[in-house]
Amino acid sequence: MLRFIGKRLWDGGLTLAALVTLTFFVMRLAPGGPFSRSRKISPEVLANIQAAFHLDEPVWKQFARYVWGLLHLDLGPSTRFRDYSVSDLILSGLPYSLTIGFWAVVVASLVGVSLGIIGALRRNQPADYLAGLIGVVGIAVPIFVIGPLCQLVFGLKLGWLPVGGSGQGWRSLVLPVLVLSLPNIAYISRLTRSSMIETLRENYVRTARAKGLGGGRVLRAHVLRGALLPVVAYLGPATAAIITGSILIETVFAVPGIGRHFVDAALNRDYPLVMGITLLYGALLIFFNIGTDLLRGWMDPRLRHGR
Amino acid sequence: MTAEPLLSLRGLTVDFRLPQGVMRAVDRVSFDLAPGEVLGIVGESGSGKSQILFSLMGLLASNGTVGGQAVFQGQDLLSLRPKELDRVRGTSLSMIFQDPMTSLNPYMRVGDQLAEGLILHKGLSRSAARAEAVAMLDRVRIPDAAARARRYPHEFSGGMRQRVMIAMALLVRPALLLADEPTTALDVTIQAQVLDLMAELAREIGTAIILVTHDLGVVARLCDRVVVLYGGRIMEQGPAEALFEAPAHPYARGLLQATPRLDEALTPRLGTIPGTPRSGGAMLPGCPFEPRCPLRLPVCAQVQPALTARGGTLAACHLEAER
Repeated sequence: MLRFIGKRLWDGGLTLAALVTLTFFVMRLAPGGPFSRSRKISPEVLANIQAAFHLDEPVWKQFARYVWGLLHLDLGPSTRFRDYSVSDLILSGLPYSLTIGFWAVVVASLVGVSLGIIGALRRNQPADYLAGLIGVVGIAVPIFVIGPLCQLVFGLKLGWLPVGGSGQGWRSLVLPVLVLSLPNIAYISRLTRSSMIETLRENYVRTARAKGLGGGRVLRAHVLRGALLPVVAYLGPATAAIITGSILIETVFAVPGIGRHFVDAALNRDYPLVMGITLLYGALLIFFNIGTDLLRGWMDPRLRHGR
Repeated sequence: MTAEPLLSLRGLTVDFRLPQGVMRAVDRVSFDLAPGEVLGIVGESGSGKSQILFSLMGLLASNGTVGGQAVFQGQDLLSLRPKELDRVRGTSLSMIFQDPMTSLNPYMRVGDQLAEGLILHKGLSRSAARAEAVAMLDRVRIPDAAARARRYPHEFSGGMRQRVMIAMALLVRPALLLADEPTTALDVTIQAQVLDLMAELAREIGTAIILVTHDLGVVARLCDRVVVLYGGRIMEQGPAEALFEAPAHPYARGLLQATPRLDEALTPRLGTIPGTPRSGGAMLPGCPFEPRCPLRLPVCAQVQPALTARGGTLAACHLEAER
């Protein structure tokens, strides 16, 4: 078990190293640079700025400098947000994204799995159709439509919840969490439903029925575990994506999270910020994949082989 | 039948709703089974033999409906409420399935799968149930049963898993065991072993068996009585000895001729039954075997023959009746 975790961490480290290298060079291959879109500035000033960020050095030297910084947990300064380091930017935004993302994952899992189970058990009955409708709406209607709609209804018309921002504690969280979880509720409920239906057809479920265990016990002891395995496999990587924020959610609800950096940093050629954000996402993805594998191994004894 | 039968089927019918219409898989099947008796149901694939067992267990596919009566220990299995059926299935009626590789829950320890029925239906404590499960695994000759009970199904071979299934089915000491081609999925070399084990244990416990198979050799060795099924109908039934000695129905004869025998090694070629088994579709007005029957008469396509007494068996055939 410990050896398995150790090996996965080692593999994860290698993956991150490859990610850093690839991102670093691919980004510099793209045309333009951090200051090419700025207002006209004199060549002397540009040269000074470039020098300040070591952009005048050969690329291999910049890379060595960056890696050296990384090893000292220094992600470098942002080229866009002057006076801020990349670490500052991430640490100030991450808590917002993390909180909204965490609750969205919780809500999406609970509601999605419940809807999926109901749909599978009441197949082709009204409850199933209702769950299916929520699924279709959740997937088909984009966040930038459903978000403002929720703001209009719950924020302005009913006045129950703030329209945006982050100043009102849990009340500020409700709408972004709800809107962020909707597409995931949709996806998870579809996944759960189809996997449940498949599991209900398994021969071992028939065996359990033949033992006279009764519907509830058959479901709890024999169906659920197999049915939820694909859901767990999906949730691992999805969690990494959700808790790192969404530019749509953060734009619509004016949340100062880090989701917006994913797009802005690339557009601004903010090299160090792109690197930092990519690294963060990569590390979380690897972390949650290891967690998922451990959880699935705990759930399915057949996966424990070869550890 | 002198004693009260353990199970009495009267006009058992199984229909499946399909996109192209209703398909009758089992057509008015009636037979009795005495306590402790071993009955073989033989027939080709699609003859409806497995569906008889599934209908008794309440395990038909959701598009299946069942008609007729199946009185087991004084109550009609087909009209029980779910709770009552669970009670019967957990205590006096068990089933062993065709495919041992997929019939055990891969996520649950083997011992726990055996024990859960005892805990629920016999009210045993967890530890007492586990002890009984281990004892039963030992009786089906699982080596090192106590340790193996803590293992998962994927750590067992196919033959071992079917032994586990047998242990699970007999653990509650049922009055009747339904075995649906229990060895078809196993290596030929261990088929006999597993079957003998099942029959031996059932005899010790006093459990009657309905054994569905297409292996006549198995029937000859294990069964007291035989039912020959074709197209969902009984073609012939009777004591195994009499039926093997002098099969009255052309289909039963064909089946026997299609079985290799060690004591008649000189037969130049194994007999075959021409044509393919009918699969569903509308019921024929006459005998379902008529299209393939080498001895058919004009009446066979028109009128359904009834089961009538022959030498030592009951057969549904116009031919013998007219002689």
